[in-house]
Amino acid sequence: MTSPAFSRRLIAGAASVAAAGLLLTACGGSGSGTSSAAAGADGKDASAKTAEVAVTITDAGCAPTPAKVPAGPVKFNVSNKDSGKVTEVELQDSGKMLGEKENLTPGLSGDFSLTLTAGTYQVWCPGAGHARSTFTVSGSSTHSWKDDPKLVAATTGYASWIDGQVKLLVSTTQTFTDDVKAGDLAKAKLDYGRARVHYERVEPTAEIWGDLDGRIDGRVDDAATPAQFTGFHRIEQAIWQKKSLKGMTPLATRLNTDVKSLYTQVKTVEYQPAEIANGATDLVNEIQSSKITGEEERYSHIDLLDFKGNLDGANEAVNVLLPVLKAKDPSLAAEIARRYAATATALAAYAAKPGYLDSGYVDYATVTSAQRRTLSQVVDAYAESVSQVAGKVA
Amino acid sequence: MTDSHDPAARHAPAAVTGPAPRSGAEPAAPPAPAPSSVSRRRLLGTVGVSAAVAGAALGAGGAVLATGHRAEAAEPATVPFHGARQAGIATPAQDRLCFASFDVAATTDRAALAALLRTWTAAAEAMTRGAGVPGHPGDLQSPPDDTGEAAGLTPGRLTITVGYGPSLFDDRFGLKGRRPSALKPLPYLPREDLDATASDGDLCVQACSDDPQVAFHAVRNLRRLAFGVLNPRWMELGFGRTSSTSPSQATPRNLMGFKDGTRNIDTTDAALMDQHVWIGAEEPQRWIRGGSYLVSRKIRMLLEAWDRDSLGDQQQVFGRDKSSGAPLTGRAERDTPDFTAKADGTYVIAADAHIRLAAHENNKGLRILRRGYSYTDGIDPVTGDLLGGLFFIAYMKDPGQFVTLQRVLGQHDKLNEYIEHVSGGLFATPPGLAAGQDWASQLFGSRTV
Repeated sequence: MTSPAFSRRLIAGAASVAAAGLLLTACGGSGSGTSSAAAGADGKDASAKTAEVAVTITDAGCAPTPAKVPAGPVKFNVSNKDSGKVTEVELQDSGKMLGEKENLTPGLSGDFSLTLTAGTYQVWCPGAGHARSTFTVSGSSTHSWKDDPKLVAATTGYASWIDGQVKLLVSTTQTFTDDVKAGDLAKAKLDYGRARVHYERVEPTAEIWGDLDGRIDGRVDDAATPAQFTGFHRIEQAIWQKKSLKGMTPLATRLNTDVKSLYTQVKTVEYQPAEIANGATDLVNEIQSSKITGEEERYSHIDLLDFKGNLDGANEAVNVLLPVLKAKDPSLAAEIARRYAATATALAAYAAKPGYLDSGYVDYATVTSAQRRTLSQVVDAYAESVSQVAGKVA
Repeated sequence: MTDSHDPAARHAPAAVTGPAPRSGAEPAAPPAPAPSSVSRRRLLGTVGVSAAVAGAALGAGGAVLATGHRAEAAEPATVPFHGARQAGIATPAQDRLCFASFDVAATTDRAALAALLRTWTAAAEAMTRGAGVPGHPGDLQSPPDDTGEAAGLTPGRLTITVGYGPSLFDDRFGLKGRRPSALKPLPYLPREDLDATASDGDLCVQACSDDPQVAFHAVRNLRRLAFGVLNPRWMELGFGRTSSTSPSQATPRNLMGFKDGTRNIDTTDAALMDQHVWIGAEEPQRWIRGGSYLVSRKIRMLLEAWDRDSLGDQQQVFGRDKSSGAPLTGRAERDTPDFTAKADGTYVIAADAHIRLAAHENNKGLRILRRGYSYTDGIDPVTGDLLGGLFFIAYMKDPGQFVTLQRVLGQHDKLNEYIEHVSGGLFATPPGLAAGQDWASQLFGSRTV
């Protein structure tokens, strides 16, 4: 399956007007005190023409105008004319959501932007009389990353790394779920983290399949009903909060099945360079939003191991792109290397052997708020740099 | 604070005027005429401002009302970034504040700090003239350089003022030899209980605008540009100015309902500013001459207790009439207080009244330029009481001016029963930048840092 865009969060991130370059241009500038809109020195082709597509929501449907555009950047301008029952438009590729605009009540409008390769897509507005319209993208992008062997190597290298991680996730999850089914609480405690770290490394890829991700990695507050709270964190809650594995066998079986099905799916994914870069940003943002806070592993407190998993995943994504990034923007590449090192060093301060639950780190509950803030500061700086990569390699 | 036989009570026309009118009940003044380039949002903002000014001035007579109103109408939307002085000090106080303090990150060296200060200069210059953070648009794959929330808003006289704390001039960046002479941590002052995590810092940014979103946007974007170089230490939003810094501005009220900024320095009086506010030729560090020292204090007001105090006592605490703002010895807000006046053998303006203790007449002529804002941090999680008060900012040519005044106020001010100094900061704010100059070369004294 071709994956023109990567996950719902990545797409949301891309759906805005962009600008680039002050940090670099102003720092290297002449100190004139005024900074005009000078183009960056990165040679990036920011002028690829964006096709604009109007999508008007009515009770009847949401047919796009035009219904066919050339490959490249596409901006969907969505407006809800008068429909009280249809408030959302998605662009899908064979049922997989690539981009969307939600919560458009009558009279509201909004937009989202994607870079699309040639193919047939669907504009979907759930609830409308004619909910699905075909959208065609023709030809090929004028400047395709596929013309650059270094980028092709990056994408294939990343794909095989992800495959390898998910394969490890399958085997470690097998061990963990066997413990759970055997009722071995002590062993399950140790094997939980051994599986988790692989998931944390590939999280943005897993999130492509929202249902699967929710079932495997959803937290109690993500679940609409108690029955929908499943997967790693449901069992985590049983182990550390309820201190009993009673009733966990069906959940263990399901987790094992879901992880295997993730592996099947992952092997079909092709990555675009910008997706890999955005995935790295997502991973670092994940550290900031759910590991530093202690929210992800709220029962087990192995958050530092998850932190390491996210950081490994981001670093791998950046590393496969590094040959290209170094050529296009060496100072950004150097800055990212420095900030990665600062983050890894800050995390290493909490390393322990064998560590809390053999995690290689201390119990996150022992890390004070002041220490968490220090961790957060280096993570934030790293994320800010990594967020600049996609625009350089796209 | 329950002296019901207070002799000054008869001078306080509480029974005549009653409590200050609530803002909702005040008649709105007609909107000020606005320049044609001004956006709808700016217009709405101006209406609000005018109404507040009119309300604040109602008890003080038509003259003040008219003056304040005219000043609002004449204000242009932008304040020049370049000049001999940094904007945001003598600039007539805008309505809103966003103030942030930063520490330099452990991994930052002199070159990285200098590079950031150059970037900040360019960004601040652009934002104060109403542009976004510079960058080039049209790249859908990169995050926008400007965060966007001020797009389409007028700058609202945005000023961005930077300052440097004592801690910056240690041995990290080779700045030891450039420390402004009086930039040393303040001594402990009476009754203060300062939260270290919400105090001080290596650098500060004061962003003031008539539009709160513009002020917030400025600090947010400077902070974003500083990722990896500076770490934010604390931040405060001010929602209402509490001082007038020019006689053309009507004096607003603090959260106690009083006009407490009436006797502030008039920033258009160059001689007064030179005497009390601007660092001059007495300072051996030439680079900081023409700058000023900024003292910030977060002064929490115990608002629930204050609101239970009688009007007569409230007026005794300040030494002013709550409604008109007039000193208890006068009739109009700007009447000079008569600190010698007695009734029945007792001072009309009590010996421990706030305006007596703070007055330059009683402090050997000592004055500071106050530029504070009301703030709120919401609700005290323990008690449910309001967390709010005055985010005090004052500029002066030597921090000793504040120390001297606060030693007196901290020990004797009748107001102390209702306030607490909960955090503080001291920063040296450099002079203004000429076109082509930047904060890095000014601070480091070289273009080759």
